This record gives sequence, C-alpha cells and structure tokens, in this order.
Amino acid sequence: MAMTESELHEAVQEAVVGALGVSDDEASPDATLMDDLGAESIDLLDILFRIERSTSVKIQASDLGDYIQGGIPDDEFSDENEIISEKGLEQLKKVMPQIDTAALAGNLDANDVIKLFTVSNLGDMVARRAGGAA
Amino acid sequence: MLRSLHVRVGIDILSVERVSRLLRENVGIEEDVFTARELEYCARRARPDEHLAARFAAKEAVLKAIGTGAARGFPWTDVEILRDRAGRPRVELHGETAVYAGARGIADIDVSLSHAGGLAVAHAAAVCRSGEGASCAST
Repeated sequence: MAMTESELHEAVQEAVVGALGVSDDEASPDATLMDDLGAESIDLLDILFRIERSTSVKIQASDLGDYIQGGIPDDEFSDENEIISEKGLEQLKKVMPQIDTAALAGNLDANDVIKLFTVSNLGDMVARRAGGAA
Repeated sequence: MLRSLHVRVGIDILSVERVSRLLRENVGIEEDVFTARELEYCARRARPDEHLAARFAAKEAVLKAIGTGAARGFPWTDVEILRDRAGRPRVELHGETAVYAGARGIADIDVSLSHAGGLAVAHAAAVCRSGEGASCAST
C-alpha cells in the first residue's frame, strides 16, 4: 500500500534520527540537515539509504542537486562566480519555501545551497518522488 | 600563450567507525560509494574498513580540491582511488565529475591517504593549467 505524505515525512525524520543519532525533537521539520544537525556527506548517504529501505523511494546524493536545481542549466542557475542568480533563487524557493530570497539575493554561493536544506524539504522531495513527480 | 599552474588542495578526515556503521547498517550501500576495483582492493586488506574510510576521505578531499566539495552531489563513484604500480594511490575521475574538472582546467590530481587511531585522513592536490582554452575557473 502506498505511503501517505505524512508517513513519508515521518520516515524521513526516522532516517535522520537513525543516521545522525539525534533526538526526534532535534530532527524537527525546519532543522537544516547540515548546519543545524551537523550532517556531513557520509551522513547524507546514510540518510538517503535508510529512506530507500523504509519507503522504497531511491534518492542518490547526486539527485539532491538535480532536484534543487530543477533542470536549470548551470550558467543560468548561477553566475561565473557561482553566485545563485535571480532565476536560481526562484527555483530554490519552490523546493525550499522557507528561504528568504530577498536576503539571499546576490550573495548565495551555489556550494552553500545544500546547507539550507531542511528535514521537511527532504520529506517533500521524497513525497514528490513517491508520487511520480520530478 | 602564457600558461600558468595553479594548485588547489582539499583535505578530509573521518572516523573509521562512522564508515563501519554506515556499511553495517545499510547493506548494499558500498556499491553506491565505492567502485568494484576499490571494493576488491579493500576486501583483501586485514582491516578493510580502514582502507574504505581512507578512500571515502580521499573522494571528499578530491571533490574539495576540484572545488565542489560533496555539495554538488556528484556520484561518489565518479572519484575512483586506485594504486599505481609502485603502490601509490592515484585518482581516476569518471562521468560528470571528470567533465566538471576538465571544464575548470584541472589537468592532474594527486592524493595521499592515511589511517591511525580510528581515523582516516586524505589530502588531495589538483593541478590546474590556465592558458589558451582553459581558464582555471575559480569555484
């Protein structure tokens, strides 16, 4: 039986708790995986694999970048100094609705985007994947 | 045309136990991270997890030297750590990561690994040649 969106978000939270060894309270929906919860690359791997086991939704680390960038070519997503463009920020707002695009305009480095990704953002991504969306 | 060399470095350190736990609690994940050649080499060692951890650190170090870190989400298997005939580690890039590095003028990458006291560490140096056709673009 297909999991509900709520169940998928719960599975994501459990994966975060299990991989990082944090509490349920710490792994709140608005906690950022890397900055708030201290997740490093190896932890992201662990989280995604646990999500696959519990939800059958397979997401590879490389998929995160594709999802966040939404198919926008690199040279349109950020400028030559890898600062996220206005078009890039619009895309980020779709997958990370909590971000303040006005505050980030002109100073968000492409390599720092993943640091804004929250537990809830990951849950949304899993839910979209489970629902067959991109 | 004047050509200049730039060297970019990357370093990473991690706990061997963290890698052991990753592999122990996620059966099959090793194929997402390590290539068949890496797995075969490490399996023949007395303490495979130490060597796998060092290779994981090396992949991170290489990605940092290239300029992306792991933040871009390139496949881990794109960075392959092998050994040359003298037993020194060497880096082979594949797929998107190879394309990305090439586009930024990275001509060669050297890496050194070590592990002791439950930790694995790796240091990578990427040589970038700028000149006609290559810009050594900053990342």
